[in-house]
Amino acid sequence: MTAAPPATGSSEVAGAVEARLTLDRRRRTRSGSELAVGLAIVVAAQLALSSVGGFPESWAIGLSDWIDDARRWVINNQTTHWSFSFIFNPISDSIDWGLRIVERFLLWLPWYVVAAAGGMVAASALGMRAGLLAAVGVLYFGAIELWEESLQTVALMTVAVGISVAIGVPVGIASARYDRLRRSLRPLLDAMQTLPAFVYLIPVVLLFGVARVPAIIATVVYALPPVIRLTDLGIRTVSPATVEAAEMFGATPRQTLRKVQLPQALPSVLTGINQTIMMALSIVVIAALIGAGGLGQVVLESLRRLFVGRALEAGLAIVVLAMLMDRVTHGAAGLGTRRRRLRLMPDSLERLGFVRAFESALESLDRFLCRVGASLASPLRRTPGLAALARHPRWALGLVALVVVTIASAVLGRPEFPSAISFSFAPAIDWLVDWVRDNLYEIGGTWFGTGWFSDSITIYAVTPLRELFSADLAWPVVVLAVALAGWRLGGAPLATFCTACVAGLGFLGMWTLSMDTLAQVVVAVVMAIICGIPLGVLAARSDRFERLLKPVLDFLQTIPSFVLLVPVIIMFNVGRIPGIIASVLYALPAATRLTNLGIRQVEGEATEASRAFGATRGQTLRKVQLPLAAPSIMAGINQTVMLVLAMVVIAGLVGGGGLGLETVKGLRRTDSVGSGFVAGLAIVLLAMLLDRLLQAWTRRFTPVEGGP
Amino acid sequence: MKGESRGHYIGPVVTTEPTPLECHEVTKVFGDNLAAARSLLADGVDRQQVLDRTGCLVAVRDATFSVERGETFVVMGLSGSGKSTLIRCLSRLIEPTSGTVKIDGTPIGDLDDQELRELRRQRLSMVFQHFGLFPHRKVIDNVAFGLEIQGAAKADRYERAFEVLSVVGLGDWADHFPQQLSGGMQQRVGLARALCVEPEILFFDEPFSALDPLIRRDMQDELLSLQARMRRTLVFITHDFHEALKLGDRIAIMKDGEFVQVGTPEQIVSAPADDYVREFTEDAPKTKVITVGSVMRPLDGEVPAGAPVSLDAVLDDVLPRLLANPAALPVADDQGEVVGTVDRDRVVALLDENSRSGAAGVGRNADQL
Repeated sequence: MTAAPPATGSSEVAGAVEARLTLDRRRRTRSGSELAVGLAIVVAAQLALSSVGGFPESWAIGLSDWIDDARRWVINNQTTHWSFSFIFNPISDSIDWGLRIVERFLLWLPWYVVAAAGGMVAASALGMRAGLLAAVGVLYFGAIELWEESLQTVALMTVAVGISVAIGVPVGIASARYDRLRRSLRPLLDAMQTLPAFVYLIPVVLLFGVARVPAIIATVVYALPPVIRLTDLGIRTVSPATVEAAEMFGATPRQTLRKVQLPQALPSVLTGINQTIMMALSIVVIAALIGAGGLGQVVLESLRRLFVGRALEAGLAIVVLAMLMDRVTHGAAGLGTRRRRLRLMPDSLERLGFVRAFESALESLDRFLCRVGASLASPLRRTPGLAALARHPRWALGLVALVVVTIASAVLGRPEFPSAISFSFAPAIDWLVDWVRDNLYEIGGTWFGTGWFSDSITIYAVTPLRELFSADLAWPVVVLAVALAGWRLGGAPLATFCTACVAGLGFLGMWTLSMDTLAQVVVAVVMAIICGIPLGVLAARSDRFERLLKPVLDFLQTIPSFVLLVPVIIMFNVGRIPGIIASVLYALPAATRLTNLGIRQVEGEATEASRAFGATRGQTLRKVQLPLAAPSIMAGINQTVMLVLAMVVIAGLVGGGGLGLETVKGLRRTDSVGSGFVAGLAIVLLAMLLDRLLQAWTRRFTPVEGGP
Repeated sequence: MKGESRGHYIGPVVTTEPTPLECHEVTKVFGDNLAAARSLLADGVDRQQVLDRTGCLVAVRDATFSVERGETFVVMGLSGSGKSTLIRCLSRLIEPTSGTVKIDGTPIGDLDDQELRELRRQRLSMVFQHFGLFPHRKVIDNVAFGLEIQGAAKADRYERAFEVLSVVGLGDWADHFPQQLSGGMQQRVGLARALCVEPEILFFDEPFSALDPLIRRDMQDELLSLQARMRRTLVFITHDFHEALKLGDRIAIMKDGEFVQVGTPEQIVSAPADDYVREFTEDAPKTKVITVGSVMRPLDGEVPAGAPVSLDAVLDDVLPRLLANPAALPVADDQGEVVGTVDRDRVVALLDENSRSGAAGVGRNADQL
């Protein structure tokens, strides 16, 4: 574009145009030259320091030895020191006691009572069909011969979520009331949500050892933030006018809380509990690393021995559990479609006469049962505490039925889960794994196949990057590059912070492993972005594609992350690549969702205006929608990076190498707790570094708020 | 003030009721540097300067007034004038920085939390700008809230709530949730909720400003008719000058946290204290506010023919007769005695002058002109 003065314009206008173009060019060259100068500095430094290589190992501060010492001290003093006999042991003992009670009770219940209870809860929240599905889901636990393990996990979840709610709701209420508490909680909660899950495991292991109680404690710490945040949020977003009105009527603070604030905050609190449950379930497998037992243990063991089929069976049980709890709490919070319908059959079958007859028979049965229940429960109407039952005859009746059946079974002898109900798809999966290995690794004897795919990523991306970061680049150059990036994006404070983080990796003695992990993270993030953003753009432009994509993304986000490992292992065997691919799958939804959301949130008027000027769809996308969606897309990239980092340890489970593997080793073997802890710390440093850099970058895309 | 002091009285015991609401130099300053702001205020430094020097916002400054039993006292001001802060200081929803508020003679600043709650439960009530209804409670439970807080039995509070709901014409809506009602109906619920506890003093914080004009007029009329029956003490906040004229027995005009003028609607319309007030009065319906008494000539000589008009009649009432008849009309006081005359020129001159420049001093003592 040359600045030829327009033929009809006055010379004044032409001058202004010329000036504007010059300014534009100068700005572009300036940002270009800044980048070039930065690169030049980095390259020059590298050339000067080419023989330096990785961070000198002798500089490491030996933190892992201290940690091992601390662990030894804990083991030696566990029975004698006051902090254990008065603080940690009582905590540990009471949690253990609670867990035992819940677990024994659940296992004592006859299997059909458990299935019926699961069905009833789901039915009351979501309707009959969901109830039936839930009951079938519960039976699945028994059918794959993991009844005991499943109920162990349920017990663990119950206790962990119970503790989370018991701590989280009061803390949330307090933080809504006291700004100072909220301000001091916020960085803590932020950290808890940014840090990868396993980071809590290590200090917990340090204090409590490896057993179920530390697993519960780690789960609570991990799952606590949402319930605190959403209780706080719920109470804070209660309209201040209603609180003022309550005050004006002379309500005490307690009355205001109970009668005005909590009821209005309830949906938010329940959402928080829902998220807490989902987060707790998402670390079932990681918690199994420190002795949680249950389904997580089965998954872990099976993965370790490459019994892929069995791992998938147990993983699916966790998914079933997660879906059950998610849907039920969702339903209870009134978030889902609130259709408490009695219908059992699909709507499409209702044209058929006998289906309609069946449904109406069911309805009249229900009416009859309700009447029976109501008359049975009516004496309770005046009993405080049980009056609620009288209002819900179905519940009353169901509860009575369950109690009667349970007692009857206890008297008559408790039946085991019948071996007749049993099925297993593990052999099929294992056969599939073999088939894939034999046939897809190299399709039909050609070069093409999953083997080629994983080899290419390894050869052309992961290995060169790892070599580049850990050996070829002199460590001061890496530090310099990160510092320059930090300086450009956030000035001196960010540059200092970034330098400290990178140097920290070296001083922890984790330079090589960190660079290995960094290489994997970079590859996974790039892949997730390359796939995720275009998918988001497509989804934003086509409602049909969005509808198709949504359940897939929902699925990817709901299932626990390690379950992703199973199909990936089937396709790619073990090593770094399956870890990377699983991370991509795990992180993809964030990039896609936020791109889609960002574009869709662009005001209709802006898009319309663009089209009114005759822009093509491509032009509208490039010149209007994408720039306006940039903050959202950047947030998506930020989340993608954090999610990939959260997968580092999971990837370590399947041979991902790097910091993840080191952390896993530390959790598995008590003698390497120290190095595991340090590796975990290195992941945290890496996470904080990338998070801050990306957030600073995101901020540059945020439009300027407010006018004159 | 207390019972025991009466014994020391010599002479007749004066049994005047205490004034329901008295405010003395109530000031509210928002900000962290209160001490500095207070000393500046004591020196008479103006609001902008206080803000510039201390960063503190003077929301209300030296508000002094009292409201008689059964009176409707309207505080009128534009947004940011401090009127909402003032009304909250009256019940200590916002703690005043200085000054005293007395309710029935008791300074409420001295009450502890429990006593303050009792005061709010028993004597005060408030209707809010955005209704402040509880979205999770049915209409009936919204209305009964005050009684519930006081610990009334369910049957009793529902009975009372139904009673009040039917007074505001929402008897059939008890089982709905507030969101299911229109804006006007929601504010009726707000009104019913406030009335349900039978308060002595009712505060209205711009209750009708969120409603559309026709509904607003209905609600104003309804409030007037309720007030005619119940005779409560009302403090009413509004930014609408017409509303103030229509509802207020007395009006305080507020600007930048201070009272510019306090007076009856007539006093304000006929004698605005300054240009700020005059601007509001300019398109005010003067003929509905100014009384015959304020424009009449004192009687000198003979009584004109025709039926006398009352001193308290507003100009609107006599305009048709004046327009039909150029001669003067006799004006009679409460006893029916003719005390003056009013004629067309007099009214035209007053309205004309008032709308052009706003003649100061046009009041009851019109004979000075």
